Amino acid sequence: MIADAEYLDDDSQQPALCVRDVHKAYRRGTTVAPVLEGVNLVVKRGECVFLAGPSGSGKTTLLSILGCILSADRGKVRILDQDIDVLNQQQRTTLRLEQIGFVFQRFHLIRGLTALDNVCVPLVLRDAPPRRAECRGMELLETVGLADKASAQPRNLSAGQCQRVALARALAGDPNLILADEPTAALDAANGRQTMKLLRRLTSQEGKTTVVVTHDQRIFQFADRVLRLENGRIVEDPEPVPKTLAAISDG
Amino acid sequence: MWSIALKTLVADRGKLLTALVGVVFSIALMNVQGGFFLGLIGKAGLLVDHGQADIWVGHRQMHNVDFPRDIPRRWVNRIRGIPGIARAEPYLLGFTDMTLPSGGFEQVLVVGVDRASLLGNAWNLVKGRPQAILRPQGVILDECEVAKLEYPQMGEIRELGGRRSRIVGMTHGILGFLVTPYVFTTYERAAEYTKKSTDMCSYFLVELEPGADAKQVCAAIRRRSPELDAFPKNTYSWISVNYWMTRTGLGISFGAATLLGLLVGMIIVAQTLYAMVLDRLGEFGTLKAIGATERQICLILLAQAVLMAAVGSLIGLAVVAAIQHFFSTPWALIVIPWWLSLSSCALVLLICLVASLLPYLRIRKVDPMMVLQS
Repeated sequence: MIADAEYLDDDSQQPALCVRDVHKAYRRGTTVAPVLEGVNLVVKRGECVFLAGPSGSGKTTLLSILGCILSADRGKVRILDQDIDVLNQQQRTTLRLEQIGFVFQRFHLIRGLTALDNVCVPLVLRDAPPRRAECRGMELLETVGLADKASAQPRNLSAGQCQRVALARALAGDPNLILADEPTAALDAANGRQTMKLLRRLTSQEGKTTVVVTHDQRIFQFADRVLRLENGRIVEDPEPVPKTLAAISDG
Repeated sequence: MWSIALKTLVADRGKLLTALVGVVFSIALMNVQGGFFLGLIGKAGLLVDHGQADIWVGHRQMHNVDFPRDIPRRWVNRIRGIPGIARAEPYLLGFTDMTLPSGGFEQVLVVGVDRASLLGNAWNLVKGRPQAILRPQGVILDECEVAKLEYPQMGEIRELGGRRSRIVGMTHGILGFLVTPYVFTTYERAAEYTKKSTDMCSYFLVELEPGADAKQVCAAIRRRSPELDAFPKNTYSWISVNYWMTRTGLGISFGAATLLGLLVGMIIVAQTLYAMVLDRLGEFGTLKAIGATERQICLILLAQAVLMAAVGSLIGLAVVAAIQHFFSTPWALIVIPWWLSLSSCALVLLICLVASLLPYLRIRKVDPMMVLQS
């Protein structure tokens, strides 16, 4: 694990994410179910970290906290130089819109909107001029190889294509942090691999920090580091995986 | 934001259609009910609206054009000299019976007009000329009332109050609020048919000089003849309408039906919007996760409500125009003024906005976390 001192002393090494002693529990009536129990995590800028672990280990909860969707019960979370514990709901929403791109397991594209419209959603939410949003959307669709599907409805796209549109949407607002929740779980092996190659290529090109929650060991090769969560704690924090760049260039 | 709202709305065609049916139903019901009401109640002031007089002068506290209390005819001279009055003529209304060829009878309301000016005479003639009432025994009837009167023909002789009358003209659409047919003739003959003295009349119809102020002239008439009341045409028409509205509960019954239509429309729109939102909770969750604010989500819903109201109103107004074209008759007149259509659209818009409140409250509870848990 990277020590706090390492990034605190050097501005250029300021991490994208810093999670210290984070606790989170869900309460149902009188029952309290702890999910995260003292998680510590530091992710450098431009790094791609995978969070793996069995179901119920707290991966998605941790991702939700990193995405400012959930609040930790205890501990410190710093995202892109902002202590999110002190942010109100509105500020968290703004941070999500401006700094974070999400890729969901089930794509969550919006019905009725074309592929291009879906990609443009974060820009529309930012009140970007329609023409500029459209140009940026088309540019991203071209990047993910779906320029010819710009006017297609999600129902007419394959699962792999949907996930590529979702990926383009996540990048549309030029966020610094990409959070992906089981991005390959709804895809077959070939599509999953292709999506991950694309994700890594795009995030590496633009120096995005990426956190991916996954069960899929076949895609671990795309990670700089793979962290394992078990019973609400990170139990492994291995050295960066050096073969990642080879895997990307392979694509 | 409008494009997201519009495209997601149109994507769910089945539900959109249901909501539009609700809006169209509300618009149609409000306009047609309102149109029937205005058509019916408008008949209460029919003689005043078309009587060519600027001011109606009658007995003090006169309250309905069809139910006058007679006043001495000679009083017309008191008001003729009031500044601003160009002409004042007596006008007589009275009930009598018309004897029918079958031996039966039908009550009619005889309208007697001044033979020199023909002020307040029949209008909208489809047979004959207005001046025909000057011919011996000449009377004018409405062609829509002929069934009641056993189909009188032009030139036919009929008995009115036991006196001979000859049909010399036919109008179209002069149907009063009462079921009693109007019969137009000269003042003197009307007095004869209704067995009234020619010394008495029901009203004085006043024409103003150009630029004269109707209210000031009315005040002057009241000052000079405290036994009389005088109202500008529009005021007396409204007084006559109001008589039936307040004494029959007509406004309440029509209003209740319209309100019911509004309520049904609102429930359909609210229910449909709610169902649409329930179907799309995940998508709203996605929008929230991506960074949509509560305000933006609210704007999407409001935009959808506005779009539904606008499209539904346009379709509704087209339906209303068709109904009015095909179903409005002199018996059941559908009068839809621009302000009624505009008010109905505004009301429907308001209802759609209120209806979007329920789904908004549901969306407020949507946790963006849900999209990470699928």
